[in-house]
Amino acid sequence: MPEIISVVNTLDERQPYIALKQAKKKGTALACDDTSIAGAMSQRACVYSGARVALNPVTDAVHLVHGPIGCASYTWDIRGSLSSAKETFRTSFSSNMKELDVVFGGEKKLSKCINELAALYSPPVIFVYSTCIVGIIGDDIQAVCKEASMAHNIPVIPVHSEGFKGTKSDGYKAACNALMQLIGTREPEITSPYTMNILGDYNVAGDVWLVKPLFEKMGIQVITSMTGDATCETISQAHRARLNLVQCSGSMTYLAKWMQTQYGIPFRKVSYFGIEDIAIALRTAAGFFGSQEMKRIAEEIIESETRRIMPEILSIRNRLQGKTAAIYMGGAAKALTLIKGFRELGMEVVIIGTQTGKKDDYEQISYQVKDGTVIVDDANPLELADLLIRQKADLMVAGVKERFLAYKLGVAFCDFNHDRVIEFEGYDGFLNFARELDASMNSPVWKAYGSRLKPAAPEAHQRTGPEEAIKERDNMHDHNTVTVQGSVA
Amino acid sequence: MTDRSYATVNPCIMCQPIGSVMAFKGIESSMVLLHGSQGCSTYMRLHLAHHFREPVDIGSSSLSEKGAVYGGSENLKKGLKNLILRYDPKVIGISTTCLAETIGDDIGRIIAEFREEEDIASDRIIIPVSTPSYEDSHNSGYIKAVEAIVKEFTSQESGSHIFNNKLNVVLSENISPEDTRELRRILSDTISPDSFILLPDISETFDAPMTGELQKIFPGGTSHSDIADMKNSAAMIGLGITSANRAVSYLEHAFDIPSQELPLPIGLEYTDRFVAALSMIAGTDIPEAYQKERGRLIDAMVDAHKYVYGTKVAIYGDPDNVLGLLSLALENGMHPILVVASGKSPGFAEYAMERVRQVKPDCDVTVLEDVDFDAFNDAVKKAKPEMLIGNSNGKYIAKEMGIPLVRVGFPIHDRVGAQRILSLGYLGAMNMLDRITNTILEAQEEKLAAKLSQPDRYASPDWLKFHPAEA
Repeated sequence: MPEIISVVNTLDERQPYIALKQAKKKGTALACDDTSIAGAMSQRACVYSGARVALNPVTDAVHLVHGPIGCASYTWDIRGSLSSAKETFRTSFSSNMKELDVVFGGEKKLSKCINELAALYSPPVIFVYSTCIVGIIGDDIQAVCKEASMAHNIPVIPVHSEGFKGTKSDGYKAACNALMQLIGTREPEITSPYTMNILGDYNVAGDVWLVKPLFEKMGIQVITSMTGDATCETISQAHRARLNLVQCSGSMTYLAKWMQTQYGIPFRKVSYFGIEDIAIALRTAAGFFGSQEMKRIAEEIIESETRRIMPEILSIRNRLQGKTAAIYMGGAAKALTLIKGFRELGMEVVIIGTQTGKKDDYEQISYQVKDGTVIVDDANPLELADLLIRQKADLMVAGVKERFLAYKLGVAFCDFNHDRVIEFEGYDGFLNFARELDASMNSPVWKAYGSRLKPAAPEAHQRTGPEEAIKERDNMHDHNTVTVQGSVA
Repeated sequence: MTDRSYATVNPCIMCQPIGSVMAFKGIESSMVLLHGSQGCSTYMRLHLAHHFREPVDIGSSSLSEKGAVYGGSENLKKGLKNLILRYDPKVIGISTTCLAETIGDDIGRIIAEFREEEDIASDRIIIPVSTPSYEDSHNSGYIKAVEAIVKEFTSQESGSHIFNNKLNVVLSENISPEDTRELRRILSDTISPDSFILLPDISETFDAPMTGELQKIFPGGTSHSDIADMKNSAAMIGLGITSANRAVSYLEHAFDIPSQELPLPIGLEYTDRFVAALSMIAGTDIPEAYQKERGRLIDAMVDAHKYVYGTKVAIYGDPDNVLGLLSLALENGMHPILVVASGKSPGFAEYAMERVRQVKPDCDVTVLEDVDFDAFNDAVKKAKPEMLIGNSNGKYIAKEMGIPLVRVGFPIHDRVGAQRILSLGYLGAMNMLDRITNTILEAQEEKLAAKLSQPDRYASPDWLKFHPAEA
């Protein structure tokens, strides 16, 4: 169990959310799964953001944000999810509520917006996201959507994602509830006795395209991938899968459980990141279907693909060996799989945290990391900065908000969030990941970090022996050590 | 997609709170706390970090369901307390979101209670700004915050009341850190380094040098003593003319400081007006160094004139930036066929058309404001410009039309260096003109290359026609 001590200086109220892993000592469980503390500068967003990230990759849907303009502005095409067909999801739709709509209610405007967009875009489905204000003024978007569904003969689905009504995790649920409205409404053409869905993969940078073909090679028909590169049609056929493989468990376990109850489809939690975890994922699927042929193909893939990427992985590993990593992720599933991934590259994790991890997640994380690792829930920039220094992290893996924090502290960085442009899943994805780490940690730019220029020594222009010359060159830069100014005592 | 009257498709504007954040980030030792749900602050931090490539911390009162029902007082007070504990800012801006505005929290009362309950020292300044997201845009949020800042500091009893013979320069629209640095340089060289007060100043706070230290609040920004001293100034320039500069009107009326409003100094004419006004105020001749800079700009304009002449451009973004770029395009002989302002501002269309009449009265120009990118897209398809000039959000249109996009403005999240884009002053005009001209040359070269690579075709006389310039 991790022990909760004052690992870093922070608000007293935040201390229970930060712990040091010490196997021999018995500690209390890490506090988590609470609403963020006002003024603590949480890195989390809101319910709407959770719904938006989980649902937005549905490629052919109109994603209409019912609220003032900001919510749509800040989420316009910010997810690096890719589509193999339609690009409707990359367009930002808003009802752009104005003061009058707030005073007199936004239902009429919403209804007109839906009519307009249905006519102009002929989408197979419209998702209507409610934002903070809708929850306050009490627009009945359920009724508006129902009426619009009838009028346009397409599903118009409300997403109950009022920003203040909970946390990002509640937004995932709202997204799953919306998906439930679609699932089971169409019948797929079944081409294989082995059918499955990929759940909790958002096809960021094309991740799904590196994973799906592996399952297809094994003879599995992948009905849909939710929600990366998913369409209204494939989602509505998802109920015919015999197996759900869940990757981002934080967002999609809720849906997987519902599909299990509703349609009797079992689910397994997997990851497609890292050599070991991809192998486990392929074996899990083959094991589930029990086909000897499939198992043989899976082993073949694992063997040949690992052999293919290993030379480069090993050469990068030589350069990364012994370096330390900090992980700060939105969800716990990604954090967990990253621990293994780093180990495969010879690196040790020294900080690990998530925005939305649950009690079970942190128990698992605590089991996976070595003694002395700091585990943190809902961290904020100052805590992360103090931790990066204290734990001497060489590299941080997180999202954009953390990127510039790490840079200012002279810590290398890898973007593993929704706006990255390189695939990290599958065999080639792992290679990409290794190359990213190599590029950031071994770049020569860090040699200049924190340096200040001094005037050349007066005799610099004079002839000197080689030894002195070297000494002089080293003296030119005065290196600083990293500090956070004015830490709270 | 045409003919919409209700839905907004690909918005050109952001909401008021983000504008207020940009203004507060331009004053010394300040932090912003957004009174609303957690997402607002996180989304804005993300948006600003993408653009400026710096850590951006914005507090939130993290309103939950309970707060929304029973009022946000408790959350706001706690947020303030924690922000002070952790960041120790001397100034805290409280910007409201749509949620806080709609539940109707009395921010002034909550602040007063908080000050008393927590015994907050009087030198810790808390400035509320009402910035509901359902009103106006980020541009108005900026103006409102600057006004609130000025009012708060100049109404304090403490501080000097002695005439300082300084010039106040107050922005009414966000400019880049590099532009801010250029503005400071021009002011230092014409007025003298200690004789002007520029507000807001994001030159250091949104583009901090790598020092080996992480600052909780980046140093820089307009100093508090300077803002308080603005009431004692001799003269005032409001930069930006398309919207009322509320801080300037306030200072003018409350302290009887003569003011003039000038367009952002973008391009030759508008920079001339600015530099001439400064020299007039300083009572000196135009510094020789600036005559030289100006001469180099004119030299650059002559060098570029044949490449850019008649090039149809569409310019879009925040109104005063667009007005300046329009002026630059016109005076270089380009054809600004489409000019689009992100939000609605009272003076934009009129000033834009006035500038067209001054330089190229026969030029066919369409002016749009308060539209979304989808409407802009329709207009682009109709007007068929050869180039877009504006922020990154135009990239979809540029791609669809197969025309280049010269990036300038906010937000620029898909290229590095947004914080260092220079468009102000003679140097800025040179920089923009060079970028625009080189983009045209590149496009021409690509067209040429496409022709040359056709194996069965030799250099035909018709491609020579479209590259008339001498080597």
